[in-house]
Amino acid sequence: MSDSIIQLLLNGTWETLVMTFVSGFFGFVLGLPTGILLFLTRKGQILEQAVANRALSILVNIFRSIPFIILIVWMIPFTRGLVGTSIGVSAALVPLSIGAAPFIARLVENSLLGLPSGLIEAARALGATPLQIVYKVLLPEALPSLINAASITLITLVGYSAMGGAVGAGGLGQVGYQYGYIGYDAVTMNAVLILLVLLVFIIQHAGDALSKRFDHR
Amino acid sequence: MIELQNVTKTFYQKDREVTALNSVSLRVPPGKIFGVIGTSGAGKSTLIRCVNLLEKPTSGQVIVDGKNLISLSASQLAQERRQIGMIFQHFNLLSSRTVFDNVAFPLELSGMPKAAVKEHVAELLQLVGLSEKANDYPASLSGGQKQRVAIARTLANNPKVLLCDEATSALDPATTRSILNLLKDINRRLNITILLITHQMEVVKSICDEVAVISNGQLIEQGTVGEIFANPKQELTRQFIASSLHIEIPSTYSERLSTTDAEGLHPLLQLELTGQSVNEPVLSEASRLFGINFKIISAQMDHAGDVNFGVMLIELSGNRDNYTAAINYFIGKHIKTQILGYV
Repeated sequence: MSDSIIQLLLNGTWETLVMTFVSGFFGFVLGLPTGILLFLTRKGQILEQAVANRALSILVNIFRSIPFIILIVWMIPFTRGLVGTSIGVSAALVPLSIGAAPFIARLVENSLLGLPSGLIEAARALGATPLQIVYKVLLPEALPSLINAASITLITLVGYSAMGGAVGAGGLGQVGYQYGYIGYDAVTMNAVLILLVLLVFIIQHAGDALSKRFDHR
Repeated sequence: MIELQNVTKTFYQKDREVTALNSVSLRVPPGKIFGVIGTSGAGKSTLIRCVNLLEKPTSGQVIVDGKNLISLSASQLAQERRQIGMIFQHFNLLSSRTVFDNVAFPLELSGMPKAAVKEHVAELLQLVGLSEKANDYPASLSGGQKQRVAIARTLANNPKVLLCDEATSALDPATTRSILNLLKDINRRLNITILLITHQMEVVKSICDEVAVISNGQLIEQGTVGEIFANPKQELTRQFIASSLHIEIPSTYSERLSTTDAEGLHPLLQLELTGQSVNEPVLSEASRLFGINFKIISAQMDHAGDVNFGVMLIELSGNRDNYTAAINYFIGKHIKTQILGYV
């Protein structure tokens, strides 16, 4: 493997990391509140609101049903408006974040549903406001499960960002696609695969360890 | 201190209307411990949740410490709930917080400064006897310890009223007793009015001043514990009282129990003493009067409010001709007497 290829791989790894974590971050910025709202507006919950819940749920389902590779193309005008370009890492962040958000919202909703309902009841009985219930009860209690949701999301994003590489997003996906698929350079392609596998293992392992660290049940 | 006026709660389950509470009215005087007893599904959980409006009644008034809770806004209600403590069957502690932080939780909600929180929490843990567990997580505690933490947590707000939702139902008998003693202690020392719901007559008997029996969403009987044990009017009430007394014919007797009298057999009597029964040494009295010997086979006597009550199985022997007279004597003393058979 020549120095230039190694440089390419290192650069690709860095870009993949940036895409994964930055879009994961923005995905949570959008997905976490959405997931909390999905939960709170459900029937029997503290902000029960059937119409809002239905509307939010439909919106989430629509975005979840668009295949990611199509979402990237479909969003090009919006991406261009937001970051000025539709090619490269920063352009990829936009559809990655939008693609991850509804996925995260459902994971968050699910995490919260897994909490014993008595916790909310006890907090209400102690005089907690809905906002206090969210940040003092729901989020801390669901933290181990939310960390698991984050590792699942980041791993999905590693895959999505590689997919994005095929349409000019950069990162390991693009290296693998250009040198491996188009140029048929088996060594480079396999090196990309190994790096992706490593990345996924590290995220999963770190996520598990972190989740366990915060789990006092 | 707590007053429910004609509280009705209806739920809708798949277009079917279910009446969980039907025009329930009760009044808990300040400083008293009031128990509501009922079987599961009778509506007692809904009842206690209506007191702090965790469930909003369909109609009726809920008045706690002179304030009508129904008319309050959401934020006023949250404020008012701090005056109304509540503990639960499953404790509902926050698993992500230590014992200390669980007790500090309500103080954080009301924005108490950190130093004051620390001092107050230490006092509360002292009160429930868990000072040395302050840094443990709830997962490492026993059921009784968890309930103590929950009690400390709910007392942090200095409530005037404490609601206990089946607080001892998940605990073993010894732990149940220690938690009940703690509740009684809190009631006396801090003068906190307690409303509890339970399906265990034991609980009512050991700490309540007044009791109401709930069935199908209605209070079918209420009064002081003494009155109810003395003179239960409803069959269900009698069953609850009976359930707190466990008495069985020993198998050596039940095997040879005959339904008809014969020479050489002795009658086996069951005597049920209620609050109406005359408080006299009836057995020795009857023994003297009728020349009959009584052998106590099994007995359980108890005390609730200021009333003695209980059940006894006794075997009669001696002067056969006076058996009927002795039985009539017991009946005359308001003891429910029943011939179970002959042994």
